[in-house]
Amino acid sequence: MSFGEDTWEMCLFNVKDGFLEGVVRGYKQGLLTTADYNNLCQCETLEDIKLYLTGTDYGPFLANEPSPMHTTSLVDACTRKLVADWRYLRENAGEPLGRFLDYCTYGHMIDNVVLIVTGTLHERDVQELLEKCNPLGMFDAIASLAVAQNMRDLYRLVLVDTPLAPYFSDNLTSEDLDEMNIEVMRNTLYKVMRNTLYKAYLDDFATFVHRVGGTTGEVMGELLSFEADRRALNITLNSIGTELTRDDRRKLYANFGLLYPHGQAELAVAEDFDQIRAAMEKCPPYQTIFSRLGLGETQMLDKILYEEEVRQLINTYEQQFHYGVFYAYMRLREQEIRNIMWIAECVAQDQKSRVQDGIVFTF
Amino acid sequence: MVVVWNGDQVAPLFGYLGAASALVFSCFGAAYGTAKSGVGIASMGVMRPELVMKSIVPVVMAGVLGIYGLIIAVIISTNINQTADKAYYFFDGYAHFAAGLACGLAGLGAGMAIGIVGDAGVRANAQQPKLFVGMILILIFAEALALYGLIVGIILASKAGTAVPMST
Repeated sequence: MSFGEDTWEMCLFNVKDGFLEGVVRGYKQGLLTTADYNNLCQCETLEDIKLYLTGTDYGPFLANEPSPMHTTSLVDACTRKLVADWRYLRENAGEPLGRFLDYCTYGHMIDNVVLIVTGTLHERDVQELLEKCNPLGMFDAIASLAVAQNMRDLYRLVLVDTPLAPYFSDNLTSEDLDEMNIEVMRNTLYKVMRNTLYKAYLDDFATFVHRVGGTTGEVMGELLSFEADRRALNITLNSIGTELTRDDRRKLYANFGLLYPHGQAELAVAEDFDQIRAAMEKCPPYQTIFSRLGLGETQMLDKILYEEEVRQLINTYEQQFHYGVFYAYMRLREQEIRNIMWIAECVAQDQKSRVQDGIVFTF
Repeated sequence: MVVVWNGDQVAPLFGYLGAASALVFSCFGAAYGTAKSGVGIASMGVMRPELVMKSIVPVVMAGVLGIYGLIIAVIISTNINQTADKAYYFFDGYAHFAAGLACGLAGLGAGMAIGIVGDAGVRANAQQPKLFVGMILILIFAEALALYGLIVGIILASKAGTAVPMST
């Protein structure tokens, strides 16, 4: 960044966004630490967990939960806190921060759309599906997704008015819309739709942060390229042995990231885990990640990738005058809710010995 | 009554401009260096407070740049005289102007370098303690640029007053 741009950013960032950056740093200070997780792991029942969490930032949201507790109600209460925080940030945000915060939630919107469409195909109740949706990714017309009979209606009636519209029209042509009838959708084609939408979303998000520029462009650029590479890896792992062709697989990878384009070319032709590993290890940052995996171990890969993501998210707080701290807060809070859910499930099912396996420590 | 000056009447413009630019530009550099590395220290210090005092080094080095500018500005301003026995020619004015610019702009450049390296260095040092020595070395090389400006500024300023006119 040039000297002039840099000075300008330092002088002017706090004018519009300084208050919210302070607020989000305050939220981040309230995230659970290793000591908190250790205390939670000692809990014997869900009531103990609820009691402990009432002393943390989750207090006001858990206070009115009736006992007996279930894991789902615990996780819902924690998610309500994230939604309340996010809503506060979004309502007080100027531009371009407001647009950035919206971009952070489009991934959840995609997940919700896919959830409702596939749930409707399997004839689930709409209300039940709406309750399972991620609250950060809700939009107004979401319930009418259940009404659409095929992809063309889906797009024309509902999605064209949402922010997801550009991701849809770019990638799914009208021939695909006609062919995606119900039988095909009952198979795993919805995964392809989801990954195609997500790829378009990631490309769009990356273009947006680079247009915002400055430190935001640098910090978010790194976070997004890790996300893109991680998704490429997961898509490859999940599509070994399915009938997804190499070209189709290639089309699902994002157009940026450390693996673009040569690593992705190698991943597209990989047929088993060892080939994937060889392709990933040519990239130095991923080599250190894969070296922590033993030979032939795939179960730990998810956890190691989460840990790497958490490490990168925490590092965003060491810089100032960028929007990456907001994205990082959302992701860290989600990771924390996943951890709480794991601990609650282990406690509820009396499997305390496995509780340490599933927690990704943040601080 | 006509006022007759010894020496050139407009020359002090250049001399005083030199003094001002020495101070102003090197303080711009020092301010940028302090601000940029200070932000890095503040952000990093939240999670690693024990490293804050070690990481103050870039701020100190940026402050020294302001001192260099101060030295040259004082030297120049004490040597500008327009009296009956001490003439101030264009020669002297140009020499002081050059001295001021040399020191000032070198200090600006060094301040930019110290700011950027200080910010990135303290944040990286928090993650990898072995980087401390490397960061210090880079900062020293950046500081040396301002030192070159100071030396050249002193040499140039010492040339003022050495002009001898052929006839009055």
